[in-house]
Amino acid sequence: MKFLVNPSKFNEIADYIFKPVLILSIILFAIGLLFSFYLSPDDYQQGSTVRIMYVHVPSAWLALLTYAIMTLYSVLALAFRLPFGFIFNTAVAPIGAVFTLICIISGSLWGKPMWGTWWVWDARLTSVAILFVIYLIIIFMNLSFENRIIREKVVAIFILVGSVNLPIVKFSVDWWNTLHQPATISKLSKPSIDPSMMTPLIIMTFAFIMIGIAIAILRIKTEIISRKSYLS
Amino acid sequence: MIILNKIISFYYREYKLNLSGFQDILTNIVFFFVSIFIFIFSIGPEKEKISILGIGIVWTLLLLSSTLSLRKFYQDDFENGNLLIMHLNGFSFGSIAILKTFSHFLFVQIPFLISIPIASVLLNIANDKLMYLFASFALGSFILSCLGSISSSMNLMNQRNFLLGSIIVMIFSVPIIIFSVGIINMEENFNSLISILFGILLIVFAINPWASGFCLKLSIENN
Repeated sequence: MKFLVNPSKFNEIADYIFKPVLILSIILFAIGLLFSFYLSPDDYQQGSTVRIMYVHVPSAWLALLTYAIMTLYSVLALAFRLPFGFIFNTAVAPIGAVFTLICIISGSLWGKPMWGTWWVWDARLTSVAILFVIYLIIIFMNLSFENRIIREKVVAIFILVGSVNLPIVKFSVDWWNTLHQPATISKLSKPSIDPSMMTPLIIMTFAFIMIGIAIAILRIKTEIISRKSYLS
Repeated sequence: MIILNKIISFYYREYKLNLSGFQDILTNIVFFFVSIFIFIFSIGPEKEKISILGIGIVWTLLLLSSTLSLRKFYQDDFENGNLLIMHLNGFSFGSIAILKTFSHFLFVQIPFLISIPIASVLLNIANDKLMYLFASFALGSFILSCLGSISSSMNLMNQRNFLLGSIIVMIFSVPIIIFSVGIINMEENFNSLISILFGILLIVFAINPWASGFCLKLSIENN
């Protein structure tokens, strides 16, 4: 598992797994979209709009997961002086921002027919919007510092401070009375979702994870190359 | 005793600096009142409407105008080298952060606290709510000072994007605004809300010396 912290080992592994991951993600997207558009049933209340869930939920999970991994890498980078963590943070922040944006846009497209409004100021929606702004601040900080050494450490500190938002996003539906429904799948008891809807959701989640990994590999490799040219 | 002397001389220096630059603090206050005028002109002069919106307006403008002066939190001392001299005189970076936070609270936020009654007269806020506004702002402004210390120490070497520090403070002050305005509007569970606010204060006060001390150290080492 050394390729997760070592840039040169990462380059070797990434060359092997980039194409398989990309092809796998395309295949999974094809199967998942087929399932979610044609092979899954309509909801008895929501009708066909329930199909937005197959994009909305995976992107929301991945927005949170990306931030959690960035937090982990910031701790590793600051505590054990691993520069790969800084590379990872710089490369992955825009991906997380895009996932959050997909989540917000698909959610408001889903909210217009179901709740009757594009946006409500309830706890889940507000905390996800704050997550998006935190991602934007990380990107802006990456763009606006001139000294690279200061930039990466300050951004890592900011990621650590901003990670207080993660549990708020996760538990906001349990702590407050929100219009957004509480968790149906990622809870301790049995998931309260029908298997016919669970299958496309899981396939789409893996498709999102694979495309995320593929883009992240590209961006991390670019970042490593740019740092090498910066040092030499 | 030597440490006490050092701390006293630190605050004497801060007092002298803030006295000589008193017009900056006054400018903040004037900004606060002018934006209250602007708000009233944009809403309209009906008393009922203003008294509903008044507390939200006061809190928003207090937040905005106290983030205006964040640029001066560490920047002047950093650029003329006083931060390094303080560190060489035996203050660790974390203790510099704590002392500076108290000084910012004393010299920037206390004037706002004094000007709240005048603002409440302008915005037609009821007298019984004024006490809650005071209590929530006394706690909330200290949290704002801590957050300002963190964000301005992060942006010391940021030469391009000065607004980023204000955005960082504003995004982290969302829970403070929620609970402070909640204190004023729902008076029956005053105790629980003010304990939540106090808890946030303790968390931020504990994070502050680590985060801003680390960023100060980083900026001074790499300058």
